[in-house]
This record gives sequence, C-alpha cells and structure tokens, in this order.
Amino acid sequence: MLGLVKLIIFGFVILTVIYVLVWLYSRSVRRERLEDQWDADNPEGGDPQAKETYVEDGMKDYHASIRPKLILLVYVIPVVLIVAVMIVINWS
Amino acid sequence: MVYVKWFFRIVVFVLLFGVLHYTLPQHDVVRVVNTYQERQDLNDWTRIFWAQPDDQSAELVNRDVQFIQTVRRKTWLFGFVPRESTGVMVYRNEDTGWSWPFYFKFDTASLQTEADDLRSTAENPKWAVMTHYGWRMELLSVFPNAVAIRQVDSPDYYPIPWFNIFFFVFLGVAWLFLRAMWRQFRERSIDPVVDSAGEAWESADQRFDDTRGRLRRWIDSWRRSPRR
Repeated sequence: MLGLVKLIIFGFVILTVIYVLVWLYSRSVRRERLEDQWDADNPEGGDPQAKETYVEDGMKDYHASIRPKLILLVYVIPVVLIVAVMIVINWS
Repeated sequence: MVYVKWFFRIVVFVLLFGVLHYTLPQHDVVRVVNTYQERQDLNDWTRIFWAQPDDQSAELVNRDVQFIQTVRRKTWLFGFVPRESTGVMVYRNEDTGWSWPFYFKFDTASLQTEADDLRSTAENPKWAVMTHYGWRMELLSVFPNAVAIRQVDSPDYYPIPWFNIFFFVFLGVAWLFLRAMWRQFRERSIDPVVDSAGEAWESADQRFDDTRGRLRRWIDSWRRSPRR
C-alpha cells in the first residue's frame, strides 16, 4: 500500500507542475491574443490606458469562462487512464 | 565540439530508446509449453530486472517467481515483420504493483492459470498472443515480464500495437505542446527582458568603448609599435 501512497504523492507533485505550466501558458496566449486584437482594431496604437483596460477586461472574462477550469483535466485524465489500464490488465 | 555534441545526442537517444524498448508493451505469438515456479536470488545488481510486487519485497534476498515457458514465432524489426521459424521464450510472471513500470498488474496468479489453461503440444497446438515488456538476457538470467495472454486462431495472427501507436502520437503532441509553451515563454517573458538588457548593455559598452578608446590612444601614444 506504501507504493500507492508514493505514486499518489509523486503523481500529485508532477501533475501540479504540469498544471501550473499549462495554466501560465493558456493565460499568456489569451493575453497575447487580446493585445493583437486591440492592435488590429487600432492600427495607430490608440490610448495605452484604454488598451490596458481592454486587455484586463478580456482576462477577467477569460478567468470567468470554462476554459481555465478545463486545465483541471490535467489531474483527471491520468487518474482515468490509470483506472482504465488497471481494468484492462487485471479484469478483462 | 561538434563530436562532443553528437556523442551526447547519441548517448541520450540510445538511453531513451533502451528505456522505451524495455518498458513499452510488445506482443508475441506463442504456444505455451509449460509453467514453473523457481526461487530467485535478488541480492545483486540484476535486482533491477525483477519487479517489486509489493512493499516488503523490496528487502527480500530471494523469493519465488513464476515462469511461463513458450515456443514463439520469431520476428524481425521489433515484432513488425513475422518470420516462419520459431524459437523458445521464457517469461517471468510477476506483479508490477503500484511502481515502475506502470502496468498496474496485480493478476499474476490469474495469468498463470490462463497460461496453464492454454498449454498445448506441438502436434495439437493452441496459439496465443502474449503481451509483455522487458528483455530476455541469458547471460544475466533476465526475463521479460508477461502482462496478458489471449488465445488466437493461428500462428499467423498479426497483433497491431495500438497502445504504442497512441503512445507515440501522444509523445509527439506533448513535444509540440512543450515547444509551443517554451516559445510563448521566450517571446513574452525572456525576449522583452533580454531586449531591454541588451539595450542597457549596448549603451554601457559604448561608454566603455569611448573611455577605453581615449585611454588606448593615450597608451598608444607612448608606444612605438603601431596599434593593432
């Protein structure tokens, strides 16, 4: 049973590292897209203050949406895979 | 330097290939001849080629291990090209438990029973697909670990390695994703810092050049040799 405990602890640490990296990446991509969108709408640059407001509002919408919650699948998918592997190997 | 780089790359590639070839599942078309159980000594470095079925087995100096003796269809190219000839292969049958490699195999006793049930003779053969991982190394008494067995109709059955296909597709996707993450990080976090640092460095460098230029000209004015 100690093996299971070890697997859970190490698995949790590794998956948390992956979760944080994906979370940062997804946020960064969204922010870049918002900035690009603003630059496309305002070819001459526009007001930097307004741009910041626009980007921050977009980020707020992003954090409220389902997308950042989907990153939690990083924890769910490996557990599902492990259960599937156990069933296939041992009980089929 | 080029040789060092290539040496390093080849070593990494060979190690990676070795680990994957040892760990990933492979399928053999076999005919089970017999099964047996034998006490194995585990107190030297070849311990790494035996599984660790449960926690207390980590400290054991020896224990009983189950084996499955088979006649196997030979193949070329890691099982991709079947051959007409047959050879023998002996598999060990051990739980992998919760530890590496992650097969989560706990049904050793059931698998041994299934293998016993499939025992057949050369005159009246029953063929089966044996899923296993690991290598057979006679010199070190190393055996591949059987993971699953199922009966097939003929020795010409061609097992498609679905798991490995998905695994390598996943590996490729993961690699692309990692690269995209790294590029995003570099573009958004490193480059702006490096650019501003680069500008600061250039202006400092320019000031240094100006100062040194004056100093150098003054020193050179005392020398006879022409300035390089």
